[in-house]
This record gives sequence, C-alpha cells and structure tokens, in this order.
Amino acid sequence: MKEVKKVRTVCRSCHGGCGVIAHVKDGKVIKVEGDPESPISHGTMCAKGLSITQLAYHPDRILYPMKKTGKGWERISWDEALDTVAGKFNEVKERFGPEAIMIGQGTGRDFESHFSRFGNMLGTPNMLTAGHMCYLSRIGATLTTCGRHPAIDYVNNPKCIVMWGCNPLWTNPDEYKGVSFWRAYKKGARLIVIDPRKGFLAKRADLWLQVRPGTDAALAMGFHNVIIEEELYDAGFVSQYIHGWDAFVDRVRKDYPLNRVEEITWVKQELIRKAARLYATTKPAGIHWGVPTEQTINCTDFTRAAVGLMAATGNLDAPGGNVFHQPPGTRSISEFSSHRSLSNEQRLKRLGGEQYKLAARMTIVTPKCAWDAILTGEPYPLKAGYLVGTNPVVSRANAKEVYKALSKLDFLAVSDFFMTPTAELADIFLPAGTWLEQNHVADNWKFHGYVLARQKVVEIGECWQDHKIFMELGKRMGQQWWDTVEDSLDWMLEPTGLTWEEFKKKGYLRGEPKFYKYREKGFSTPTKKVELYSTILEGWGRDPLPKYTEIPESPVSRPDLTDKYPYILNSGLRTPTFFHSANRQLPWLREIRPDPIVEIHPYTATKHGIEEGDWVWLESPRGRAKERAKFNTGIDPRVIVAEHGWWFPEIKSPDHGWEISNINMLTDNSHESMDPVMGATSLRVLLCNISRCENE
Amino acid sequence: MGCHACEVACKQEHGLGVGPRLVRVIEKSPDFIPVYCHHCAKAPCKEACPVEAISRNEQGIVLIDNDLCIGCRECIEACPFGAMQFDETQEIAVKCDLCIERLLDNKLPACMNVCPTGCIHFAEKKNIASVFEKTL
Repeated sequence: MKEVKKVRTVCRSCHGGCGVIAHVKDGKVIKVEGDPESPISHGTMCAKGLSITQLAYHPDRILYPMKKTGKGWERISWDEALDTVAGKFNEVKERFGPEAIMIGQGTGRDFESHFSRFGNMLGTPNMLTAGHMCYLSRIGATLTTCGRHPAIDYVNNPKCIVMWGCNPLWTNPDEYKGVSFWRAYKKGARLIVIDPRKGFLAKRADLWLQVRPGTDAALAMGFHNVIIEEELYDAGFVSQYIHGWDAFVDRVRKDYPLNRVEEITWVKQELIRKAARLYATTKPAGIHWGVPTEQTINCTDFTRAAVGLMAATGNLDAPGGNVFHQPPGTRSISEFSSHRSLSNEQRLKRLGGEQYKLAARMTIVTPKCAWDAILTGEPYPLKAGYLVGTNPVVSRANAKEVYKALSKLDFLAVSDFFMTPTAELADIFLPAGTWLEQNHVADNWKFHGYVLARQKVVEIGECWQDHKIFMELGKRMGQQWWDTVEDSLDWMLEPTGLTWEEFKKKGYLRGEPKFYKYREKGFSTPTKKVELYSTILEGWGRDPLPKYTEIPESPVSRPDLTDKYPYILNSGLRTPTFFHSANRQLPWLREIRPDPIVEIHPYTATKHGIEEGDWVWLESPRGRAKERAKFNTGIDPRVIVAEHGWWFPEIKSPDHGWEISNINMLTDNSHESMDPVMGATSLRVLLCNISRCENE
Repeated sequence: MGCHACEVACKQEHGLGVGPRLVRVIEKSPDFIPVYCHHCAKAPCKEACPVEAISRNEQGIVLIDNDLCIGCRECIEACPFGAMQFDETQEIAVKCDLCIERLLDNKLPACMNVCPTGCIHFAEKKNIASVFEKTL
C-alpha cells in the first residue's frame, strides 16, 4: 500500500478560509479533513468543503480547453484556446475600444487580485462581480461612513451579538465562521436575532425580531431612536468622532418614531425598544449582518445606519465589538490590482458609472448596465466577454434578460469546472482548477486580519488555476505579468519579508490586533470622523443621511399588484449544501437537498390547496419558477422564501433546465428597483403568487 | 442546526455513495432532529440478524460484519431509530461503527470532528449525561 501524503491547505468551496488537511494517495486526493490548527475554522469543515473530492473528480468536469464548433464542443489545446481569446479581444479592442469587452466573476475563487489586474491592464472599466449586492457593497458603504469595514470581533467575546439577517452556521462566512460565533455565544453572549424566519438561532435568541423583508434600514433607525431618546449613546464618542450627529438625530426623531417603525417593519415597538436597549447597554456588543440587508434598494443606507449603531454605542473598534482588523502586511489587493493602469479616460467610460457612483468607486459595474449596453448598444455596445467562475443566467436578477444579452455577444469565453447554462453560451471554455489545484495567498481581500496559504495539492487534467489563466491570457495581449503564479505571490508577500515558499510553510499571517486606532489618527473619511452625515454622498448629490426607502415592489408601494401577487417573495434562501448555483451535481449534497425548496407558512399553503412536498409555481410580474413546498410555521404567512441558484446538471441539453426552477425568472433588475449608488439588485422583496403545479 | 457536515464527513469516511445515511439530520426548522445509531446495549438489530453478522464489542460498539451480512434487511426493520441502512451497491446492511479505526488512532469520529456546534458526543452510558450537562 502506497503511503498517504497529507497536505495542509485552505478551502474555497464558498468564500472560504477554513483550514484543510488533504490526504493524497497515488496522486489523487482521497479525503479532506479540517485542520485543527486553523485560526479560522479550528478543525471544522462544512458539507460543501467536505465534498470537494466529488467535485474535483466528477465525471462531468471539463478537464481540457474546448471550442464550440458547428458539431458541438471540441477539445483544443491551451495555445489554441488562449490565442483565440486574445485574438478576438484584440480585434474588438481595435474596432470598438477595450471598453467593449466585459469581464465578469461571481463570488470568485479567490482570484480577485488577478481578475482586477487583468481588467485594468486590458483597459476595460466594465468589470462585473457579485459585489453590487454582496460584500463589496458593505465594503463600499462602510468605506464612505467609517473608512474601513468593521467586522465583528468574536475572538474578544462580545457580550451581546446582533445576528442581522444572517446564519453563519450555514452560510455568510466572510470573516469569521460559524464556529467562532458559536464559541462566543456559548460563553454566554446575549443574542438578538433579526430574521423574517424563525430558525435555529432565532429559537435560541434572547430576542427575535421577525422583520418584514427589506425593511432593515427602518429597523436600524428605530434602534437609533430608542438609543437617542433614552440617551444610551456614548456621549463622548458621539461628540468627538461622529460627523453630523445633530442632523442625524433630527432625521431619526422626525422620521422614525417607533410607531412608524413598527408600521414599516412589522416589529412591535416594545420589542424594538428592548432590543435596542439590550444592544446599547451590553458592552461589548457586535453586529454580524448578512446579505439580505444589502440586496435591496436600501443596501447602502442600511449598512450606514448599522455602522451608526456601532459608533453611537462606542462599539466601533472596541475589542469584542465591530473592529477594523489590522491587515497582515502583504501588498493590498488594491495595489496588486493596479487600478492606476486604467486611464482616467477609460474609467469615465464605466457603464453606469455616473449613476452608480459607489459601485464605480469600488471599480465594478452593476450587471444591469452591461445587459443594457449589449441589448441596446447604449451608451456604446459591449461586444465580447470573459466570465470566470460565474453563472449569471442562473444567479443574476432577471434571468431572461441575462440569457438574451449573453446570447447576443459576438464572442464569449468562460472558465469554470462544468458546462453550466452560462458556459453553454460561450465560444471558448477554459477549464479552471478547484482550490485543490491552486497556489494562493488566500483571503487577501477580507477584513479579518489574516492571509492564509492555500497550496496546490494536485493537478487534474489540463485544468489551470484561474490566476494562471489571467496571466497567460494577459501576456498574449502584451500585458506585463510575472513568469509564474508563484512569482506573483512572491510580489504580493514581499512587504512581509516572506517568499511564497516560506509562507506556505508558515500557513498563515495575522495583522497585529490593535484597537481604538481612531484615537491616534481619526477615521479614514474626509472629515476623519464617522460620517453619519456623508460628505461623499452629499458630493454626489445624494441624501447624506441614512434613511429607509420603501421597496418599489412591495405591498405598500404597489397595492395595485397585490390582488394578483399577494405575497412578499424573499428570494435567495441560502442552504448549507450549495454555494449559489454550484454543487447541484455532487451526489453527497444533492442527496441531502434533491429539490429546490420554497418555504411557506402552512396557513398560506392551505389557502392554495398546497400540501407539504408539492411542486408549486411561484409567479411574479416577470415570470415563474417551480419549487417544492416546505412548511415553516416560523415564517409570516404574508412572506414566501425561496431558494436560488437552481439548474439541473442532470438535464443534458445545453439549457440544463435553467428556466425551470430559477428564482431569477421572477426577480427584477430595473434601475428603479436598485440601490441608487451601489446598484444592488432587489432580491429580497418582490411580489409574487403561489399555486400548486398540476400533473406533478 | 442542519448544516449536514456530519453526514458528508461520514460518507467520506466510510466511502459511501448515495443511499445509506449512517447519520442524518431531519430538518423541521427551527428544530433539527439527528438520526443516528445509539449502539444499544440490547441491540434490536443484533437480535434480528438471522446470521449473527451483528455483534457488540467490548467497548460497546455495535458492529456489522460485511462478509457475513446476507442483505435480508431484518435489522433495518428492527431498528427503532432508523439508523440501520442498506447499501444498494454492496447489497448489504451498513451501520455506524463510531469510526472505530479513527478511535484506534486516537481521533474523534468523523461526524463529531467536523461539527461546528459540538452537538455530537460519544461516551459510555454513565458518562454521557454529565457531558450533556456541561455542554447544553
């Protein structure tokens, strides 16, 4: 029997970061285990990460570059593939300018550094990510408000945790993982859960606030109202470190009396009062918030109001509160991305850049602007694209429009693991490596103060890690890159005094924890204070104070629609087995969750003659999708919550059934529905109806 | 809390595909009900087995001998917890062995090892109550 080699690396089956020990035998990974020495995951691993061997060695995985021919997909060499992409891109660049090429990623496979550098050096400002409504949107909002993203500090034991639209034991693992939350909670932290559904955490919470989906910003303003009225704020901090406190207090007192907040949010005044008191009087207290708060028109305003809560209560950059973790000293992702390579002239051409100024500052485009440009040719046409690890046909709002737009491109290259519905629209398919096939200074874009050594465990087929694809494609287009991926990592690590080889042995680096840094140098905002009154937003002609805007398609704003579409649809229910549109082909995970699930209250079900397990149609003014009904008594009967990301790899036709259960057949991406500065799409509130599928 | 990491860790450890689920979490949000083998002192699976393929070792772990199992499914009928499973590919019954090889290696069972809330424990009967008093 040959010996089993153990390789220490880092998972990336979601946003990643968990330590892994991979067991390798005969050049194949036979098993993965959690790394007990990981400072992020402490030896735990989730269902997704544990299934990596089923992904990496899946019989349907594409292991070679392919081109689409009249007879279907055909295997080609890397040389031919890269020459084709570079040739097409150069052609478009010459005829229409580099801005006519869009590059896009999903939640990414930790190649953000190389992705942005490639785009900047190509000269295109049109970079699509998920960032308009996921993570980057909070980076943007916190940047304008307090200079940096304040992540909850579980290590220093918050005494009160506000879990706001988030279940880190299942998903949302951007900084600390569920295990870190759980450890802090088990040490006796009080727990406030804000969630439209009663789940595992809500059941254990000291207080559960069952909020109307999408109204989190109003609820945050309600918290402020209590904190101001009862003078629970940190007067010293407020007077010294908050810009625009008086104007903010006026806004809160005038526009957000608790009776109005109750009316907007459906949360009883007394409960809001209790929760605000508990948060403001328990020190330290931290807020951990999730994407549902961001995937609405109130994206930026909610995050700003939440930062206001951290600031007003003196929990900002206080140990056990929400802190600015110190970066570990590598070159920042921003420096690596070489944003300066993109000329001002090109930067000004960013689609939607004038309208969505915060997205532009975060160097991204909200996808709607790209689809508009492709379909209408305005303000100029997009002709070609490169999509990396993203499946927008399934994962972006208004799927029909996405499909139409991508189909219209003159040339599309995709890199991924499988032939997804999006990949099927491509001309060239580039086979990407999984995290088992990747060398990288992982987590370098996160705000938890760590970088982690993800080292290549195996090579599979002719798959390349995405970083290498960007580099080799870039070189063929005349861009300056390093010889190897590892050389680029050496450069990233240079300021730490470590080479990639040395870092690999070390495993991780952590920035020295330091608190109350603002006392020395203020906050990284124009006024050096926490800008509850944002001078940046004011400069953009936007409301400088946080507020709640009624969702454009809600029972309140569109009573004319409620006869036909009486329910609020909250789309994007996360599961612990799937990562957005990924993993549906992995047997271990699909066995746990074979079908797309929509959760409804049994009362709602009875009204429509629906029994648990029935297939049901969900229908909005834009389209319909089919999911399987699951009852949840901990959900408001007026609300329906549906899973996203569904397509069917087992359907072998090129559409792979993307229209059947895709919740984005229902979602809206109209400009009116999006966050006015970030372009966040409204995924958590739209109107829908439900009916039993006949003949199923 | 329904993360199902234990289920996948178990499948990986035992090389099982779709079908047999030696540990399983049933979701009835906000409640999550784990289904697992209790390694009963007087094990109904063991008693039901017509060929004595199921035994209980000195540590109290109830084990099934793959070579002796004839795939009659009597044990599956007998188990009150739904913990006995059938593997269609091998055409035999399969069950939790508490990761006996890992235990010999001084490692925790795979399911317990990955659990982020630490809700999975194993111990002898007289000790398990105190474990739960401490953790719950």
